[in-house]
Amino acid sequence: MREIVKLGLILLLITSAAAVVLGLSNAATIGTIEAVEAKASEVARKEVLPEAENFKTLEEEKLNEILNGNEKVLEVYAGYKGENIVGYAIKTATPGYGGNVEVITGISTEGKITGIKVVKHQETPGLGANATSAEFQNQYKDMNTSKEITVVKTQPSNENEIQALTGATITSDAVTNGVNIARELFNNKLSK
Amino acid sequence: MSIIKTFKNGLLKENPIFIQLLGMCPTLAVTTTATDGLAMGLATTTVLVSANLVVSLLRKLIPSKIRIPSYIVIIATFVTLIDMFMHAYAIDLYRSLGLFIPLIVVNCLILGRAESFASKNTPVRAISDGLGMGIGFAWALTLLGSVRELLGAGSIFGISVFGEAFKPAIIMILPPGAFLALGILVGIYNWLSKKRAANA
Repeated sequence: MREIVKLGLILLLITSAAAVVLGLSNAATIGTIEAVEAKASEVARKEVLPEAENFKTLEEEKLNEILNGNEKVLEVYAGYKGENIVGYAIKTATPGYGGNVEVITGISTEGKITGIKVVKHQETPGLGANATSAEFQNQYKDMNTSKEITVVKTQPSNENEIQALTGATITSDAVTNGVNIARELFNNKLSK
Repeated sequence: MSIIKTFKNGLLKENPIFIQLLGMCPTLAVTTTATDGLAMGLATTTVLVSANLVVSLLRKLIPSKIRIPSYIVIIATFVTLIDMFMHAYAIDLYRSLGLFIPLIVVNCLILGRAESFASKNTPVRAISDGLGMGIGFAWALTLLGSVRELLGAGSIFGISVFGEAFKPAIIMILPPGAFLALGILVGIYNWLSKKRAANA
């Protein structure tokens, strides 16, 4: 009995020390982590909607209406130039090969895709992970939001077609699905 | 054994990957590129050295009956620290290694060194063992990552080697490629060390 108490106390001592160390370093890093993450998102939004000077999240009521209706939409930001809204940056999460693929899509108020960026994914390096390449992402640029974007395996011949990544059709589909969700959201809720 | 000999032990003679075959999960999973291999190796080395030091310092306090939970708590603490600090100060690397940082906790190399070396030796020797084993682990991961990246993507450390004409063998960066590359490298390593032993 006495031994069990002693062993328990020693373990308690070790875990408490660990908890103190972790608590202190968490307090020391959490501010920086939040700042770094916020900055990374801000940079990504600027990349997909270069015209905007700053971004604000939508009004709560409108945002909640959008988010409740579609769990694949994560964030909706309006991009402003001066006082005017020039477009939207919409973050979506769609299932890919190794989990959700998070994509930010930039759409101008005229209904053109101004850029997309894959911001988070767990796709296979060398295959699906190539979705982050500029070559793939630039395909979406300047597409019209009025028509659904489709994935083809050969050189695209029609409007709003994307050439799939070699050996990574599922990833290409996931990114395209995300862009399509953003596109429909814009058409149905934001452009009006 | 002298401190220097302890350090050298992990580099070649008892290399964690090629001889002891320890820590196979990160070895197989993250070595798709040379950069990821090196980064994983260095992160593991940091945890290994820190855990070895603390385990060695506490070796008289920790009774043998609860040594495993104690070691796991110590290792997990250091891994969480690395995770937080990398997230704050090296975001790109953090994104790239992602899930594999928390998995350092269950890398049996670290628990293995705590159990078989650090808990029986002085702090200085535990540090030198941790450094030796860690660097041995890191160079082996880097080599494995380089071979796979070279054959599977035609580049090393992200720099293209063969140019456009090269058609990469995509299988090498997929999971089967990890087993193929590891098996062949372990074979070559053992062949070389046998040859050296025969010559000596």
